Amino acid sequence: MPKTIAVTGGKGGTGKSTISTLLAIGLSKEYRVLLVDADADCPNLHIILKAKRKLLSEVKQTIPKWDFSKCIKCGKCSQVCKENAIVFVKGKYPIFVKEQCIGCNACRIVCPTKAIGKAEQKIGSIYFSEINSSNLSNLHLISSEMLITYEETSPIVNALKKEVSKLEDKYDFVIIDTAAGTHCNVISALLGVDFALAVTEPTPLGAHDLSLILSLTKKLNIPAFVLLNKANMAKSKAEEIKSIATQFNTEIVSEIPYDKKIFEAYSSANLEKIPESLYKPLIDFIKKK
Amino acid sequence: MKTITVSSGKGGVGKSSITAIIALYLARKQNKQIVYADCDVDAPNAHILLNLKEKDFYEKEEIFASEKATLIAEKCIHCRKCISADICNFNAISWNKEKNIPEFNKYLCEGCGSCSLICPAKAIVLKKVKNAILRIAKTSYGFPLITAQLEIGESGSGKIVTEVRKKAEKLAEKNKADLILIDGAPGIGCPVIASIQGTDYVIAVTEPTPAALHDLSRLITLAKYFQAKTGIIINKYDLNLKMTEKIETYAKEQNAPLLAKIPYDERFIKALVWQDEILLQTLSETYVPDILKAIKSIQSFSI
Repeated sequence: MPKTIAVTGGKGGTGKSTISTLLAIGLSKEYRVLLVDADADCPNLHIILKAKRKLLSEVKQTIPKWDFSKCIKCGKCSQVCKENAIVFVKGKYPIFVKEQCIGCNACRIVCPTKAIGKAEQKIGSIYFSEINSSNLSNLHLISSEMLITYEETSPIVNALKKEVSKLEDKYDFVIIDTAAGTHCNVISALLGVDFALAVTEPTPLGAHDLSLILSLTKKLNIPAFVLLNKANMAKSKAEEIKSIATQFNTEIVSEIPYDKKIFEAYSSANLEKIPESLYKPLIDFIKKK
Repeated sequence: MKTITVSSGKGGVGKSSITAIIALYLARKQNKQIVYADCDVDAPNAHILLNLKEKDFYEKEEIFASEKATLIAEKCIHCRKCISADICNFNAISWNKEKNIPEFNKYLCEGCGSCSLICPAKAIVLKKVKNAILRIAKTSYGFPLITAQLEIGESGSGKIVTEVRKKAEKLAEKNKADLILIDGAPGIGCPVIASIQGTDYVIAVTEPTPAALHDLSRLITLAKYFQAKTGIIINKYDLNLKMTEKIETYAKEQNAPLLAKIPYDERFIKALVWQDEILLQTLSETYVPDILKAIKSIQSFSI
């Protein structure tokens, strides 16, 4: 069984993707690493790693399909739909708004004439990539991508994790990069991991959102550690981050300074160029864990 | 009354800071009546940027925007219909063999009601769940801020955003406000869709990195789908001029005009870290006039 680590953080732009990629690059020098992009809304790791994505599977969702020859226009399907995906006007056949549908079975169950069958709609894709760099042959990337205009991200993340579970035995480490925020897509990504790394920055916003994400990991019973990124941005605020970590019975396991080299490498999609000395303590911590 | 949503796709590119300086400028320099709605309900931050204290909040309301299945155990006739195929599509129900009753995983339950509809004994009911707390504050800038915080471990961010916007509309009507200004969430999922739907104008904030451009393109596609007028702001543009050029080309191709290029300005970080109102005001006077002018001249949209 590999060790599974989620890199998360609540706030956007604190460096989740950069840290998870650096972690994967660092570990891949000794271990086989599967990097997982669970930010299905806006997946970026393939861009950061300049990886060519190959389609692994499509994520599909069951949707209702009406047989109007059986429909008696009773409107019950519309009444039970919690997502307002079925519009009913008296005397007319129901109208289906597919973007709103979350793929439950309520309408089919309630239809008295069994006029509603099943169809499928594509809601996202799962991709697999090998990294096109001779130094990174031990590193593979699996990423998810939600279809634009679809609302529910967590089914895509769940499908992604299913694919990961099929592959994970081939790896020593699985690193999951979650989306920003704290709702269902992040929860789905966090469930079942060995521990989480909460990436934050020394600002009042970083501190606020760190408390949120640590409350979430606590609620989900996932051990969490804090990584303070851009640590030199405001030294005095770093104390506040430290005290939040203590409050949650955890610690700052590593600090990474704000360094122009990191931004330049990130903005030119060349993280490999970042000197390992900048993030070595993190790699050492993870190896020991 | 108009609604403007500031959104970004990628997080941390400067959405909240830009929303804040636009609000400050409109309120202080143009005497506009605005209502500020923080629709990043997962991790709301506007109240920190605006340096609000607990005492500034004058209204608090619990939001019950989602439902979860719960069992009335004494009514269960152990028929196991709720765990048969084609009922729960979210794998939220498992069977407790010891107690011979179903169990519901609250993190997976979507509250769709399928199990409750199939249960012949009416033993499964949907219970409303408190999934957010909405608060309204008076700010020292004269405008009110509506903010909501998703309860930890709960879902339904999109529905909470809809509640925040309803509240904002009511308040705007009462105050005869000119504008509702929405600070959106990162991503393009349910909270973002709920923030963009029916808005008059979307300001898409980005930064000169390949990841941010990729996320911007996903956001622009979404905004187009909802037929929202959209303009782009490149924040920290001078950090990578080559990428900035790429974004400008993209903006042209998409017919989503570039409203402004804001340089990397350390004062933004200082204003944020030290919650410095005077500095925030200075920043608003430095950058907002050009943004408003661009929106007006390019898209004849005046606020």
